[in-house]
Order: sequence, then C-alpha cells, then structure tokens
Amino acid sequence: MNKTLLTGAPLIGMGASLGAFANAAGAMAGVNLNAIGMFFVFVIISLGITWWAAGRTKSTSDFYTAGGQISGFQNGLAITGDWCSSAALMGIAALIYSTGFDGLIYSVVPFGAWPLMMFLLADRLRNLGKYTIADIVSLRMARVPIRSLIATAGLAFVIGYLIVQMVGAGTLISNLFGLNYEVAQVIIGVLIVVYVAFGGMIATTYVQLIKAVLLLSGATFITVAVLAKFGFSIDGLYAAAVAKHPTKEAVMQPGGLLPDPINAISCGVMLLFGGAAMPHVLMRFFTVPDAKQARLSVAWAATFIGYFYLLTFFIGYGAVAFVMDDPKFMDEVTGAIRGGPNMAAIHLAEAMGGDLLLGFISAVAFATIVAVVAGLTIAGASAISHDLYANVLRHGQATDAEVVKVSRIAAIGLGALGVALGIAFKDQNIAYLIVLPFTISSTVFFPVLFLAMYWRRLTTTGIITGGWIGLASAIVMLVVGPTIWKDILGNPEPLFPYKYPALFSMAISFGTMVIVSLLDGSERGKREVALFDDQFVRSQTGLGAEGATQH
Amino acid sequence: MEHIYREIHRDPRFHELERKRGRLSWLLASIVVGNIMWYVFATAFYPEASFARFWGEPIGEGMATTWGIVIGLIQTVLFIVLVNYYIYRANGEFDDLKDAIVADATRTAGDGK
Repeated sequence: MNKTLLTGAPLIGMGASLGAFANAAGAMAGVNLNAIGMFFVFVIISLGITWWAAGRTKSTSDFYTAGGQISGFQNGLAITGDWCSSAALMGIAALIYSTGFDGLIYSVVPFGAWPLMMFLLADRLRNLGKYTIADIVSLRMARVPIRSLIATAGLAFVIGYLIVQMVGAGTLISNLFGLNYEVAQVIIGVLIVVYVAFGGMIATTYVQLIKAVLLLSGATFITVAVLAKFGFSIDGLYAAAVAKHPTKEAVMQPGGLLPDPINAISCGVMLLFGGAAMPHVLMRFFTVPDAKQARLSVAWAATFIGYFYLLTFFIGYGAVAFVMDDPKFMDEVTGAIRGGPNMAAIHLAEAMGGDLLLGFISAVAFATIVAVVAGLTIAGASAISHDLYANVLRHGQATDAEVVKVSRIAAIGLGALGVALGIAFKDQNIAYLIVLPFTISSTVFFPVLFLAMYWRRLTTTGIITGGWIGLASAIVMLVVGPTIWKDILGNPEPLFPYKYPALFSMAISFGTMVIVSLLDGSERGKREVALFDDQFVRSQTGLGAEGATQH
Repeated sequence: MEHIYREIHRDPRFHELERKRGRLSWLLASIVVGNIMWYVFATAFYPEASFARFWGEPIGEGMATTWGIVIGLIQTVLFIVLVNYYIYRANGEFDDLKDAIVADATRTAGDGK
C-alpha cells in the first residue's frame, strides 16, 4: 500500500517540510489497535455528553453561548482546546526537528496574542457582545453592511482553516490508524455534525475541555520522559540535540526559517494580531456570565496555553535527540524521517513510551482535530444563522426556533462541505491555506474590533470601505505572491514578493478605515460618533450587557 | 439605560477608573508587544544586529543552552505572570470601584433598571 503523504499541512510557514513524500509501507504497517481503542473511548464519552447537552440546547443563546453558564475555569480549558490544534503539537516539533530554534517562533509569537487579548479586548468583548463578534460592532453601526462584511470574512476564515484541518487530519489518520483517507474524512465529518448540530455550544465546550486535558497530559508525559533520560538536566537534552542534528550548534541559534526581514516581521504581525482576533476563539468569551469570568477564562487559557508552549521547548529538541538517526523511525528507501517531519512528535512518543504511549498520543491527535473542527463549525454556523440569516436576511425578525433550525442546517452543511473539500484537496500542497485565515483575522477582525472599541470617530462607511479593501488586498497579495503565483501556478516570478502579506494588508485596512471615517460627514456617521459615549460606559462597566440565561 | 450611562459618564470616579485601568493595560500591552518585536527582529536580523547576536551564544562555558532559548522561556513565563497580575488588579480593586460607581449611578438615576 503506497500512499502519498502531505507533510506540513497544518502549520504556517512549513517551507522546510513541504512537498509530497512518497510514504513507504512502513508507516502503514497495520491498524493501530491501541490508538483506535482509546479514540473509541473518547468518541463514546463525547457522544454521551452530546446526548445530555442536546436536551439542554433549546434557544439560540443555548446553541451559541451555552446559555452564558460556563465558568471561567471550564471556559479557559475549552479555549485551550480551541487554540491548540494538532499543528501546535506536531507542527512546532516538526519545525524544531527540521530547522531548530526558529521553530519556536510559532510558540512565543502566537502566545503573545493572549496577554494582548487580556489587556485590550477581553472585558470589552464580553460587555458588548452577544453571540458573534459582529454584535460588538453593530451596537453603534449600521447592522446590514457590517454583518455582511464580518460574516463573509468569517466564512472565508472558517473554510480556509477547515480545509487545512481536514486534509491534515486525513493524512495523519491514515498514517496513524491505518485507516483509509476518505473513511477518516467521513468519520470526522459525522462526529462534527453530531456534536455541533445536536449538542451546540454545550457539547462543543465539553469536547474541547476533555481534549485539552488529554493534550496537556500527553505533552507533559512526553516532556517528563524526555527530561528523565537526562537526569532532568535541561542542558543535557540540548547537548544531545546539538550532537545529533546535522547543523550542530546552529540548531540552538536563530536564523534560517524565514527568508528575509520583511517576511519575518509580516509573519510576526500576522501571528500576533491575527491570533488575537480569531472568531472561533473570541466567541467563547460570550459563554461566560460576565466580564469577571471572561477575564478568568483568559487567565486560565493563557496559563494552560503558555504551559503547553513551554513544553514545546523540550518536545521539539527531544525529537531531535531521540528520533533523529534512529533507524526504527527512518524510511528504508529515502532515509528521511518516516511519514515526514510532522510525525516527529508521534515517533518521540513511541520512543519514550512504546506502543501504549504511541496509541495514546495518536488518539489525542485525532481528538484534537475533531475538537478544533467542531469549534470552527460552530463559528461558521453562527456567522450564517445569526449574522446573515437573522440580521441581514430577516432584519432581526426571525424567531428563536427559526434561528436554531438554521444553525443546525448550517452545521450539517459545513460538515458536509468540510468532507467534500477534504477529499477535493487530498494530496495537494495546502500549507499556504493557513496563511489565509490568519491574514483575514489580522486584516479585518482585529482592526474592526480594535477601532470600534477604542476610537470614537469610527463610522460604518469607514469600516466597510477599509474592511472590503483590506480583505480584497489580502487575497490578491496572497494569490499573486510567491506561494500561489510562482510555486503552484508555475509562473516564473511572483507579482508580489512576500509570502506573508499581513503587514501590508493590515496597514491598508487600518489606514482606509481611519481616513474614510474622518472624511465621513454624513448624518449616519455623526449619529454613530455620538453613540460612542454610551457604548464606552457599557464596555467599561458591563451595564446592559447580555446576561446569563436561566434554565 | 441611556440615562444611567450619562450618569456614570458624569461621575469623576468613572474617569479615574478608566484612566487607571487603561494605563495598566497599555503599559502591560506595550511590554508584550516590545518583547514579541524583539523576538521577531532577533530572528530576522540574526546574526548581524547587536541586539540579536548574543541570542546564539551559550549561557555558560561548555553549555549547549543558548541565550535565545533562555529568553524565549523567560518571555513565555513573563506573559503568564503579566496576565495573572492584570486579572488580580482588574477583578479586585478595579471591579470594586466599578461596582460602587454603577450602584451609585443606578440609585441616582432612580429606577434601578
């Protein structure tokens, strides 16, 4: 059985490990019973929770915010689940394995988004929002144009992210479990639709929560096992990594991953500001009762996510020390790592804990993908049913029951779309697609939210002009950039020289929003500016904020 | 609701709260952005720039651990500490002040809703 494996799919900037690897029979040796058994237990428990949650999901508020009844601690864990995709475990380890120190840029820089969310966004978001981030902006702006912009950008975000996760999942699962790629797609699709359509935000929250606990314990276990081999000497681990890695001392030094300073800065801006405004993460702020609990969620999430990123400093180099050069993990034909660099963390689990730990980590990786896709699906469903259907199409006249019904249909549709796209993009280089959601997030969501909350003079005309121009410029720069224009379409030279357009598209979007708002002399603009004081008091005090609903 | 908002907006303590909380937020946020920019620039301009060169040097004679690794670990821990320090202040003294302001404004405005 010979399968082409796509490596690097789930991570940004995986230039080092791109391309299709012809995966020899070794990785597909057979069905991994430990892994399947443990994943099966996860599925049974999560379906049990979904069944319980379905009985409690009646209103729109139940569906999207679990009735605002989740505690700060639970929500913090669930956010950790939403944030840490399998890319965080496998992708960062893969980058450190291939390029060394620079891989850690994907630990430290995105983590910086968390303190930013805490200091600048969290309480204001909770105090102003209801179900989606569009709610925050439409408080003083014109509903229809704002929601059309944010929902369109939101769906582009969700679909781009979804393809990356689905394709990554399919290859990972056929590799780990010995299952067929298409079968894996359908399993994920069905699970997602069941969780989201029936269990809504309550089920999604608990699935995320369980997955976060599994991921954190698995990563902790590997780290402790790795450090124990060196008598808990951190320097001992790094010395072993330097001895094994072909670049020797350079494995501990910066340089090599990002092509030039402009790309590096643009990539940093994208990870930091894009990471701070991802809709599927921000909508979790509305599941807690008030701003106090919203801050608590962020504090717990930041603590858990930071802890997880600290572990990547050891897991990545552990993979260099224990996987590199071990003939057991190398492909007999090519001599490269079996299954590609993305498998480095998984091989490390096997090296540390044998079949049992391999099975556990594989099951965690599967659960991780399922949970992240569930979070994306509910974010996409809210954009369709709450923003587009209830507010744009029905002008706020739809009943609660109608909105819940549309939400369920949207969840089923998105699940089916995910499976279809997962199969359509099979065996293709889709690593560039993850740049799309992060670029959209930093170009549209971050500027819109930031200016709406902090800048009095912002008007609807400013937002929609800047938002649409920013979105269009981001997509155009991605398409005519080196990755798509040159590498995929085969043109000799890219029309836009940088892989990461976020620095430019974010400047265009911010600049246009500010200039157009300042020039906007319309009556509507004046009314919107006048409403700022009320919105400001609400954002600071939580007076008039959406409360928790009682059952 | 609007008249309570106006009432709060007239209260000098509200502006004091907003200034204090805002100053802390912006101070901490600039520490974070500064650290991240240092990290990104160090990766981008290594080894030419002086602020980046020592990132590749070992922290001690005969050691493998470099300053870059130590800085990355410290930054991650620092961010966790800053977040928890902020919530200690925000959920404590700032929220107490906020509750007092809201209670007074609601009483003055009269209808309690």
